[in-house]
Amino acid sequence: MALQTEEIKKIYGGYSGAYDFIFKGFFYPRIKHAIETMHIKPGDRILDVGVGTGLSLPLFPDYCNVTGVDLSAGMLKEARKKLDKHGIKNVTLLEMDASNLAFGDDSFDHVISTHVISVVPDPVKVIAEMKRVCKKKGNIVLVNHFQSPNKYLAKFDELISPLTKKMGWRTDLSLEKLIRDTNLDVRSQYKMNKIDLWKVVWAVNNKGNRAA
Amino acid sequence: MAIDKELLDILACPKCKGNVRLTENRDALICDACKLKYPIKDDIPVMLTDEAEKI
Repeated sequence: MALQTEEIKKIYGGYSGAYDFIFKGFFYPRIKHAIETMHIKPGDRILDVGVGTGLSLPLFPDYCNVTGVDLSAGMLKEARKKLDKHGIKNVTLLEMDASNLAFGDDSFDHVISTHVISVVPDPVKVIAEMKRVCKKKGNIVLVNHFQSPNKYLAKFDELISPLTKKMGWRTDLSLEKLIRDTNLDVRSQYKMNKIDLWKVVWAVNNKGNRAA
Repeated sequence: MAIDKELLDILACPKCKGNVRLTENRDALICDACKLKYPIKDDIPVMLTDEAEKI
């Protein structure tokens, strides 16, 4: 079940201050790993969709150009503080709706989105936008919790989804369905350890190919 | 965090995906086609159609 944009804005604006305290330990290792697998080259332009409080920002190499977008002004304020604190100069922040990005086609070499795709009302539209603004053959990297392929665990994800929705995310998003619906060219998908709740999904932008 | 030329080159109106331009006093971005003005608040451009001002 989808979340509505206004609802999301309210939920995340409300706890932007506590967000790092709650989530840093959980999210940091995977974000770090995902950025390392992007093979960023000097001068590359990277888009971070749903940059939130900017946990990822100190992890990008200083020889690339990073653009971070988020729907929540409160989150972006926290991200800005992080840039000041770390003296980061290669990042630009903008307030935007992930399902309607304010960039031209082919604007970025690579696009990353961590812990976002289960938070948006229309995940398929967000991926379509990521593909549109990313250059062909660029990397599209997602880090997210997806519904378990195990049918008992899948049921559990469905059961707890109404509860986690109140906190701002859903647990019943199927990766297989999402890949089908978006024709995402996934080259690898894995968990960093067996019992990890989150998956790293690494795709190559196949737009412009037949049926892409 | 000033809006540089490179950023202006890739920025687009979220409604029509066409070009936007900076206002003279650099406090907003304008889409002439949609006649919408996107504010820049605390140096952060707010590129949301819901929060754009009709001009």
